[in-house]
Amino acid sequence: MMLRDVEWEACALQPRHDRELEAFVREKLGAVPSAVPYFAASPWIVRALTNLGYNGAPLVGVDYALADLLGLVVSQDNSCRYCYGVQRTVMRIHGVPEARIREIEQNYLEAEIEPRTRLALDFARRISRASPLVSASDAADLRATGWETPAIRELAYLSAYNVFMNRLMTTAAIPITGVERVAGHWAVGWLAPLARLMMRRRWRHSPGTRLSPEQRSGPWSYLVCALDGLPAAGVLRTVIDQMWDSPHLTRRAKALVFAVIARGLDSSLAEREATGLIEANGLERGEIEPVLTHLSSPALDPVEAAIVPFARGTIRGRPTQLQERTRALLARLPGEQVVETVGVCALANALCRLSVVTQLE
Amino acid sequence: MRLAWLIAAVAAIAAALLATALYRSRRSDQRARARLGTTSAELERLSHAFARFAPMELVERVIASGVPTRGERKEVTVLFADLFGFTPLSESVDPSVLVRILNGYFERMSAAITAHHGHISTLIGDGILALFGAIEANPWQTDDAVRSALAMREELVAYNRELAAASLPTLRLGVGLHRGSGIAGLVGSPELMQFTVVGTVVNVAARVQALTREHDVDILITPAVQRALDPRFALRALPPRELKGIAEPVATFAVLEQAAELDPVHR
Repeated sequence: MMLRDVEWEACALQPRHDRELEAFVREKLGAVPSAVPYFAASPWIVRALTNLGYNGAPLVGVDYALADLLGLVVSQDNSCRYCYGVQRTVMRIHGVPEARIREIEQNYLEAEIEPRTRLALDFARRISRASPLVSASDAADLRATGWETPAIRELAYLSAYNVFMNRLMTTAAIPITGVERVAGHWAVGWLAPLARLMMRRRWRHSPGTRLSPEQRSGPWSYLVCALDGLPAAGVLRTVIDQMWDSPHLTRRAKALVFAVIARGLDSSLAEREATGLIEANGLERGEIEPVLTHLSSPALDPVEAAIVPFARGTIRGRPTQLQERTRALLARLPGEQVVETVGVCALANALCRLSVVTQLE
Repeated sequence: MRLAWLIAAVAAIAAALLATALYRSRRSDQRARARLGTTSAELERLSHAFARFAPMELVERVIASGVPTRGERKEVTVLFADLFGFTPLSESVDPSVLVRILNGYFERMSAAITAHHGHISTLIGDGILALFGAIEANPWQTDDAVRSALAMREELVAYNRELAAASLPTLRLGVGLHRGSGIAGLVGSPELMQFTVVGTVVNVAARVQALTREHDVDILITPAVQRALDPRFALRALPPRELKGIAEPVATFAVLEQAAELDPVHR
């Protein structure tokens, strides 16, 4: 779908400037994205959107140009106007001609894309769509064209990372005017060589890193361990831990969000992990199933009763549907709880779609 | 000397002709590219628009290789809605007024259905066939479908107030719901295709809808729906009735209301 055709609501979240947080982002990315103030109430979200990308988690086996293309294609598929605009700008800075970007966005299915690359992009789209959830057999075509397991894992991670960013920006309805103005500005093309020089040192391939023993445990460690070898694994561990420790929602509420999204995506692995965490945080096993079957239960507290159905609504849907639900949630919960819920839902949508990495040998 | 001038003149004319031809060819190429770009963009837009009515993978398969004939067995909840007494109404009201009334009705019912994760498969006259769990697997399809029916009831009350205020005839709705397995796929002729579900599950929903008149209620569900439904919905059991094409008499439940705690955030 073309950028201008995606309907987008006004953002209902209040931006808040946090100098320390913005300094951290500036140091990492070179600039503070316009989305940052909207998530400042939950610093883990800002750290996640800063670190989960190439700057915090350099790539090992996947080419950066392919990663950019993957970001564009997945963001387009998810109708995330914000990420789409950002990705367009990044690609133009990387020297991709405007005509080439337009060719892909106008007709991905017919665009001239090298077969091996197209398979990788299709795999990433299937992970993002999760209809049904991708399994190891979906990677068979990739293997046949020479993709190795570590690179397939990295592709899966990149797809999940884009799902996280897409859900985050879309559900929060982050304003897009600035992003789109930059994406379509003629000067981007002219300034690209300079920007490329500045960014090149940030985007070098990593030889790969191993997880430390401490990083191998904690919530969703099965996923983190499956990504061992990629710098993304350690970054993901930190993001999950920071999310888990964030104070605006209880751990039980966060685990409930994960369980609902896992149920909606039919990810039994993620559901098992999440229900274990719910139990560990005070809801009995017999009380969990009714919640997951009907998305409500007298056993839930008022915050949980509001965020459980909300979480379900973030699994799929058009941007305006997601954004209307966020607005409705804001009428029931304080702003910082809504921001945290949006972040947890985005992360849960990403991680539950990533189960395939545990099946790749 | 004269020959040299002649050669130069001929060369200049040839160059001018060549330049003109090249310019025209380039312009034509640009126009063709622009048309192609517009068509591609339109196709991309259409494929996303169609994804609201059929699974995206299916839409892309149709674009890439024509209409696939393969169907897929799916667990779905079917909602069948129809207006009571529509035929006499259609004969007594001016056609333009009738179309306006119908369009207002469809607009409201469609919003109630899509807000609860359903999609309208077919409009048959004043009837609506809506599916839950057909495009994407949906473990909450039954709760969604019944909430959708309740939202339709609420929407119709509001719409009837508007109609009455405009001195127009009001409408009365009957909704039947059934859950079961059906074959989902693109069905139709090359001229008219639609993504729908076929099978007994659809027939039963339609027959149960017809029973709403007999029981004088507006929303009826089958035991298959009742078993999957959140037990906190208020239901009233009704005596079994024979349904055309179904061997055993079918018991039904009238949906009264949803419990207060099952509030509208469930969307």
